[in-house]
Amino acid sequence: MKAAVVGGSGYVGGELVRLLLGHPEVELTQVTSETMAGKPIAKAHPNLRKATRLQFVPRTELQPTDVTFLATPHTESAPIVPGLLDGGSLVIDLSADFRLKDPAAYAHYYRTERTDTALLADAVFGLPELHRDQLRRARLIAVPGCISTAAILAVRPLAAAGLLGARPVVIDAKSGSSASGRDAGPAGLHAERSGVMRAYAPAGHRHTAEIEQETGATVALSCHAVEAVRGVLATVHAFPTEPLEEKGLWQLYRRAYGEEPFVRLVHEADGIHREPEPKILAGTNFCDLGFAADPHTRRTVVLGALDNLGKGAAGNAVQCLNVRAGFPETTGLGFLGLHPV
Amino acid sequence: MTECPTCAASVANDEKIVGEIFPCPDCGTELEVLTTAPFAVETAPKEAEDWGE
Repeated sequence: MKAAVVGGSGYVGGELVRLLLGHPEVELTQVTSETMAGKPIAKAHPNLRKATRLQFVPRTELQPTDVTFLATPHTESAPIVPGLLDGGSLVIDLSADFRLKDPAAYAHYYRTERTDTALLADAVFGLPELHRDQLRRARLIAVPGCISTAAILAVRPLAAAGLLGARPVVIDAKSGSSASGRDAGPAGLHAERSGVMRAYAPAGHRHTAEIEQETGATVALSCHAVEAVRGVLATVHAFPTEPLEEKGLWQLYRRAYGEEPFVRLVHEADGIHREPEPKILAGTNFCDLGFAADPHTRRTVVLGALDNLGKGAAGNAVQCLNVRAGFPETTGLGFLGLHPV
Repeated sequence: MTECPTCAASVANDEKIVGEIFPCPDCGTELEVLTTAPFAVETAPKEAEDWGE
């Protein structure tokens, strides 16, 4: 299967290129970048030196191919997707352009007017743990955001079991700097970022819409930037309609994810790695989930950790491709991470 | 097979003996074998401050 990456010079694009070069069923033949056209891939991604002789090409030179990954900024995918689909390519979009079904949500969260409602309806939300059967028939796959992925996987079992009622869930998310992309800006300056613990979206974060769409829960999301390059940790505070003990939480989450290749349940009795931690997940496609019962406040705490560029973006996109193409789901995604790191 | 009293994971006997202490494969809780036929476990007592005196 031949593949192309559009927007390959960014961090998500670079992670896609890395994973696709190591995928035994995929031949990566095109990587586009407007800013680095004509330059070798390793110029943007030095970890890929000697891994490929490909050079970036401008998007105007993109040729039809079997699967096209779009690692483009929000609003840049929507105009090019119809042409790619007409050319017969499977499209896996990592922007937010096709994640939401409701055009009104785009108007509210992204300040964009969407009239391509048929395509919005046609797109399959790219989370295999929730939509595996639909992904097998998809022609347009919308890969969720990094915070959304951790939060949805954490919240969904509680919501699906009807344990949330009408009560909102509070999600406190922390993310590393690579989640904000490669474009230079004052927030990325070392002087601003080093040592940071900044609430950059205490309310109203765009990923709220995705999480609510996929869980049915009412979501109160607060997002923070922390001192890390990769990683997302979403801490969910839920107040179920009936009290949950930890044994019940184990059973609930084991039923939901016990057979999933990339979701691990982590809530151990002792040791320093008792709960999910993004640090050891760098470069992997895992989402680790943990939980705890707090009888004092009748609260259930659920923790979701992942690499924002891995399961939170490129790794999940490759997992979606594997499902769609009928490859074993773990193909090309076997990296187990590093420890210590 | 029996069930971990903490997380309900399936726990196999695997030729364990009465009194043996082993960690649950899922949650890591230290379990103590009570009987082998039938296979039964309970959470192993943690060392208290006055133990060993």
